[in-house]
Amino acid sequence: MPFLKAFPFQSNRGPSISNARVRSNRKPIIALYDISKTYHAGEVSIHALSKIDITIDSGEFVAIVGQSGSGKTTLLDILGCLGRPTAGEYWLDAQNVEFLSDEELTTIRNQKIGFVFQTFHLLPRKTAIENVQLPLQYAGLSSSAQRTHAGDLLKRMGLGDRMQHFPTQLSGGQQQRVAIARALVNKPAILLADEPTGNLDSRTGQEVLAMFDQLHQGGQTIILITHDHGVAQAASRRITLSDGQVVSDEAQDRSSPRMDGAEQP
Amino acid sequence: MIVLSIVTDALKNLKSNILRTGLTMLGVIIGVAAVIAMIAIVEGGQVWLVQSIERLGTNLLFVWKKTLTVQEQRKFAGRSTGLQYGDALSVRQQFPDLVAIPMIEFNQQLKTGDREFSGEVTGTWPEYQEVRNFRVEHGRFLIQSDLTEWKRVVVLGKEVAEKLFGSESPLDREVKIGDQRFTVVGVMKPKGTVYGTNYDEMVFISATTAIRRFQGEDTLRRMIVHVPDREQMDRVTQQLHSLLVQRHDGVDDVRVRNQGDFLNAVDRTIWTFRIVLGGVAVVALLVGGIGIMNIMLVTVTERTREVGLRKAIGARRRDILLQFLVESVTISVIGGCLGIVSGIGAAYGFGGFVAQSMPGGGDWGAVVQPSAILIAFSFAVIVGVFFGLYPAVKASKLDPAEALRYQ
Repeated sequence: MPFLKAFPFQSNRGPSISNARVRSNRKPIIALYDISKTYHAGEVSIHALSKIDITIDSGEFVAIVGQSGSGKTTLLDILGCLGRPTAGEYWLDAQNVEFLSDEELTTIRNQKIGFVFQTFHLLPRKTAIENVQLPLQYAGLSSSAQRTHAGDLLKRMGLGDRMQHFPTQLSGGQQQRVAIARALVNKPAILLADEPTGNLDSRTGQEVLAMFDQLHQGGQTIILITHDHGVAQAASRRITLSDGQVVSDEAQDRSSPRMDGAEQP
Repeated sequence: MIVLSIVTDALKNLKSNILRTGLTMLGVIIGVAAVIAMIAIVEGGQVWLVQSIERLGTNLLFVWKKTLTVQEQRKFAGRSTGLQYGDALSVRQQFPDLVAIPMIEFNQQLKTGDREFSGEVTGTWPEYQEVRNFRVEHGRFLIQSDLTEWKRVVVLGKEVAEKLFGSESPLDREVKIGDQRFTVVGVMKPKGTVYGTNYDEMVFISATTAIRRFQGEDTLRRMIVHVPDREQMDRVTQQLHSLLVQRHDGVDDVRVRNQGDFLNAVDRTIWTFRIVLGGVAVVALLVGGIGIMNIMLVTVTERTREVGLRKAIGARRRDILLQFLVESVTISVIGGCLGIVSGIGAAYGFGGFVAQSMPGGGDWGAVVQPSAILIAFSFAVIVGVFFGLYPAVKASKLDPAEALRYQ
C-alpha cells in the first residue's frame, strides 16, 4: 500500500551521496546540485535561480527566506516537483527526479510531498474531511480507508468536531489546520509550507508554527518558505536567497518566532 | 469508488450553479426532444399514410390517363384518346377474374325543392360496392339495368342525404342533378374521410347515364381494378397495360399503378421527411453540444486554481480529464433523460393536435419507437463526450505551478 511506503521516518533508502555538504551520519532527504532555472520572456532571459546547492537531511526544519523576486517561489516549485529546473540535479528521497515523467512526478507529489499554502487552497464545495481525503483518493485508497485515516488525523489535530464543516464555516486557523492535515495525510517525506502564516493573524500564526514545531519534534522534515524573518525564526536552519542565489545557510537557535516581520539581528 | 466520487463531485459542482447548469442542459433537452418527436411524428405519418392507402381497398390497381411529355405528344401526334369507357368494357371481357370499374367524376349541383348541395358526382358500375368495400345502408346500389337503360337513379352519401332531406327518408324522392330529374334509390353507410376523400359526400349514378346525360363523350378519368390474387398484381399490371396500349393503336397514354407503387412512393416521401427533419433535430443537438463546450470552458477557467491544487496533491492528467468529462457527460445524460420525456410528451401532444385539427387526421398518432429513444439518447451522450473533451483536455494540460497561482 503506497500509504505505508511513503512513511518517511523509517526510510532506509538513504542515498550514498559523496558530497561535501552531506551532514555526517544523517540521511539527506533532499539534495540539490547546481540547480538553475531560466525563464524566457521574449528576447530577455530571467535567471530565477542560478547554481543552487542545498542538502537537507531527514528530520530537519529549514526556513528558506528571501524577498519577493529572490527566487524562493521558483525553488518551491522545483522542491515540490511542480516545475523542472533548467539545469542541475535534484535528488528527493534517494531518487533523481530529473528523468521522471510528468505522471511519475505526480505520484512523487502525492506520496512524498505535503503542500501547505498561504491561501490554504481548500476546495470550497468539499467538507473538511473530504478535503483531507483527497490525496488518499488519488493514491487509490478505498473510501472507507480514506475516511478512517483522514478522520483520525483531523481528530488528532483537534478538529474532530469540524470534520463535516465546509471551509467557509471554519476560521482561518482551522482552515490552515485542515490544509496541514491534508498535507500530512499521506505521511510525506517533506512538508513544504509556502508562507503558511501569511493569511493569519499573529496569534493564529503562532499556533500554526507551534504545530510545525511539534511535527518537527516528531521527526517530520519541514521546509518553510517565507519572506518573514520572524517566522523563519521557528526553524532550526535558515537558508537565505537573494537574486536566485544562496547568500547564507546557517543553523540557528530555535527561539520563539516573532510574527511582526522584524529582522532578527 | 474513485469513479463514484468523481460523479458525486460532478453533481455537486453542477448543483452549485444550478441556473447555469439548467440553461446548458436545456440545449440538450431541446435537441433530444426534437429528435424523438420528429422521428415519432414521421413514423406516425408513415403508419397513417400506409393505412390510408390500404383502406382504399386491398389488391387494387389504378388506371388513369397519363400526362404526356412534349416528346410523347409529338410522337403520338394527336392520336392519344386517353382512357375510354370501351377500355373498361374490354378489361371486363378479357379478364373475367378481375373486377374493373370505370370512374366518371364531374361536379354538379343537386337540388330538392329548397335545399341544394354542390359536389362531385361519380358515374360507375354496380361492382363499385365490392371494389371499394363501401356499401348501401338503405335501399339499393346501382344495378345492371341502370346501366343498360341509362336510368336516372342516384345513390347518395350519408351526408348528402342529410343535407338534402334532413331527417326524412330520401328513398324514392326526386333530386335534380343539374337540370335532370333523378330518383334516389339508395343511401350509403357512413364511412367518413379516408386519405382526403370524404366518402359521405359522394353521389353515385350509372356510368352510362353519366356519359350520355352529362359528359357527352365516353372518356374516363380513371378506372379501378380489383385483383383477387395478390400474387398476380405485377403480372396483371403488365397485362392490363399492354391490353390498353394495344386498344389505343400502340399509343402508350395510360398509367397502371398498384398499391405497392403508392406505398413505395410514400416510403420515398417519408425518407425525405426523415432526412430533413432528422437533420434539423441533429443541428439542434449540436447547438446544445456547443453550449456544453462553452460552459465547460468557463468552468475550467473558473476552477484553474482547483485544478492546480488537485495536481499538486496527486491528481494525474487522466484524473482531471475524467473529472471534467464526467461533468459534461452528466449534463448530457440528465439532459438526455429529460429530453426523452419531453420528446415523448411533444410527440403525443402533436398526435392529439392533429387528431383534432386536421380533417381525416384522426389516426395520425405519433409512434415513439424504442430505437428512436436509444438513438437520441446515445447521440446526446456522444455530444456530451465530444464537446466536453476539448475543455477537459485543456484542464488536464494545465501547468500545476501556474494553475495554483492563477488569479
